[in-house]
Amino acid sequence: MEEKLTPVVCPYCGVGCRLYIKTLDGYPTGIEYAEDIPSISNEKGKLCPKGNAILEYLLARDRLKKPLKAKEEGKFVEISWNEAIREVAERLKEYSKDDPDAMMFFGSARTYNEPNYLIQKLARMLGTNNVDHCARLCHSSTVTGLKAVFGAGAMTNTFRDIEEANVIFIIGHNFAETHPVGFRYVIKAKERGAKVIVADPRFTRTAWFADIYLQHYPGTDIALLNGLIHVIIKEGLYDEDFVRRRCTGFEELAKIVEKFTPEYVEEITGVPAELIVQAARTFATAGKGVITWAMGITQHTHGHDNVRLAATLSAICGYQGREGCGVSPMRGQNNVQGACDLGVLPNVFPGYQAVTDPEKRKFFEEFWGVSLSGEIGLTVIEAAHAIEKGKVRAYYVMGENPVISDANTNHVLKALRKLEFMVVQDIVPTPTMEFADIVLPAAAMPENEGSLTNTERRVQWSFKAINPPGEARPDWWIISEIGKAVGFAGEGAKGFSYTSPEEVLREINACTPQYRGITPERLKKNLAGIHWPCPSEDHPGTRVLYRDRFLTSDGLAHLAAVDYKGPAELPDEEYPFILTTVRYVGHYHTLTMTGRSRSLVKRWPEPLAEIHPEDAEKLGITTGDWVKIETRRGVYPIRAKVTRSVKKGVIAVPWHWGANVLTNDALDPVSKIPETKVCACRVVKITEEEARELIKAVPKVIPEVEVVKG
Amino acid sequence: MARKTVFIDFSKCIECRACEVACEREHNGRSFINVFEWQEMAAMALNCRHCENAPCVEVCPTNALYRDEDGAVLLAPQKCIGCLMCGIVCPFGIPELDSLNKIMMKCDLCAHRRAEGKLPACVETCPTDALLFGDFNDIQRMRREKFTEKAIESTKEGEKISLMGL
Repeated sequence: MEEKLTPVVCPYCGVGCRLYIKTLDGYPTGIEYAEDIPSISNEKGKLCPKGNAILEYLLARDRLKKPLKAKEEGKFVEISWNEAIREVAERLKEYSKDDPDAMMFFGSARTYNEPNYLIQKLARMLGTNNVDHCARLCHSSTVTGLKAVFGAGAMTNTFRDIEEANVIFIIGHNFAETHPVGFRYVIKAKERGAKVIVADPRFTRTAWFADIYLQHYPGTDIALLNGLIHVIIKEGLYDEDFVRRRCTGFEELAKIVEKFTPEYVEEITGVPAELIVQAARTFATAGKGVITWAMGITQHTHGHDNVRLAATLSAICGYQGREGCGVSPMRGQNNVQGACDLGVLPNVFPGYQAVTDPEKRKFFEEFWGVSLSGEIGLTVIEAAHAIEKGKVRAYYVMGENPVISDANTNHVLKALRKLEFMVVQDIVPTPTMEFADIVLPAAAMPENEGSLTNTERRVQWSFKAINPPGEARPDWWIISEIGKAVGFAGEGAKGFSYTSPEEVLREINACTPQYRGITPERLKKNLAGIHWPCPSEDHPGTRVLYRDRFLTSDGLAHLAAVDYKGPAELPDEEYPFILTTVRYVGHYHTLTMTGRSRSLVKRWPEPLAEIHPEDAEKLGITTGDWVKIETRRGVYPIRAKVTRSVKKGVIAVPWHWGANVLTNDALDPVSKIPETKVCACRVVKITEEEARELIKAVPKVIPEVEVVKG
Repeated sequence: MARKTVFIDFSKCIECRACEVACEREHNGRSFINVFEWQEMAAMALNCRHCENAPCVEVCPTNALYRDEDGAVLLAPQKCIGCLMCGIVCPFGIPELDSLNKIMMKCDLCAHRRAEGKLPACVETCPTDALLFGDFNDIQRMRREKFTEKAIESTKEGEKISLMGL
């Protein structure tokens, strides 16, 4: 009997906390806090409730243990790995021959960099750029927006800069609930005397800690940001020198924000004019400031513009390229940054190298030894629409759950039913898996090893702590086997004959400029990881981006001048309320993991729709009553919580349990993100019996999958 | 004997309930710390205060409740008869009945972790340092120092001094 502590990275959010898994002869017996590892993102080994409960989902009874083949929808037979790989490879080969763009590949922000690199390599070598992942649904507007202003789509700073800032502006981000360990640094800054400004339609736990709290209506972010910029320019509080030296487009900006007086902004957003002035002054005069945001900014039809404006606000105050400054879009998954970096996006190769750029394409054609498509592929939501038109016929889904995570679930369900062939590679049964033809059981993150990139661009190595259950295999192994079976048998980078994730990372080092110096050897030695860009093996990594120049073609920050546009769908007589979606600290996304954690489900057992007391009184609703929420796209039964934390006229619903049956799949024209944060809805009180009936139509978050005999 | 205990800084609690989940993991599915929300405006965690003059220890007829070297009030399960008196006299409602084993149960400040030189799990995990473990008077001194530092800073800026501690 041997007790062992293995350092892993928490499988949940983008903070990327380190912890140890305690094992006895390879079986997990507990966890231990990584207080002894210096300079990690979770200082002193701190963990949130999800991190504390990670063993519970790993030991879930319904983990997938054998490859499965569908007999009919939702009924499967067990098959061998050989059969599974052969069947998947043959089908992919057929599509690749007739029409490669009939395939769509989903990478995953919930697995390591190596499998993500491999899945986009497989898709592209098969001839299609149809490869995307869930970043499309969370931070695609951050990637496009920040790229437009600063030249790269990532957090420009680290948690240490949040700690060192004098003012922290948190907009559309329930920091305390979504990233509790990251919020530590806000509290530390506040203790030092920093001011905290929170803008959120809901009075969240983050707002408890605000010095200034701005409660704007969902979808009015552009007006609010323009209002702040208006005051800063009008009162001459911006950093003139920085704007002159390092920014372009200031005149247009000044012209467009002219009309966004605090009074006009109050009309649109519902935030008192004097608070806007106070917030603008506090932010601009602090000397060192950070802006953080998350889904409240990005998930809009104008998400791209929201992000550009937030970046513009930071730039005109001169809060770039220094310690204690920057913009911090907070990533939701522990490797969503990595999946983006490694080209699991339809428009770029690893390292954000455009597929449309002939030179970059030529490099990868030589590197992988095949000819590549130069056409931008489909995004997650576009793919669902393309199925309906018969353009996409096959899905390969690695560790994603579009049935719950995509906007407008009913449309997604309709589309998935039309697919000819679907492969799902996951650790547990998901509602998406019910439509699969082949199911491949994957090892969870602590059951295999690899590198991953947190929200601060920190690349860390996570070690294998426990053995996967049954015949579950690491993601990198599964994709390599399929690659080989398809016939990509070349040597080195020209094929898929890998024997370890280290080999894959070395290949990533060779083709991704930002990751060039981030070798497996360095990562294993330095548990705190390395911040990219890291151009060579002796480079220490980069904490703060853009010290001297931005990554735009002219090296300047391209300030955004954007006029106000509202959300795609506004309340009317038929649907009089604004619906927005929220999340709980104890649950994670589509509940595939936390829904199987006893200690979390016990504390956060069900969703509650938040409604303002005055609205509730009019509708005769009290806390605990069943209501049905209806939008133009679906119906969702849920119990109500009457609370002053939402504004009058706004309904807030947690989305973990499938509330995306309601949300709007209208897309941002640039980033293609659906507007899951605002739509129009109506609320009706119903009886418990009616609710039970309606629940049947909502996809089950934890489905029971039937395995039948051959 | 320096008495070490869990200090709760209400002004930093974000109601994430990590302490509850950590405690539950370390104590076989039972959490001895609870987080309560106050009027949707703030939260506070509450665990056994391991009182200086602990009514539970005084009232225990079988001496099942005793104090260890760190000053923690522990329960010896072999001696407990499940008479509930400790629970009745506790002003915070801390001791609970384990109905399976028919004895009482309560926070032990993670005796098994302290034996290995580690902090209680709730303190170790608390993301915002709302929970601190140490000698009460030392912690108070540290808080005074922080308050004074900040008060001086605020005076410099000509602002009003906040009496909330933050």
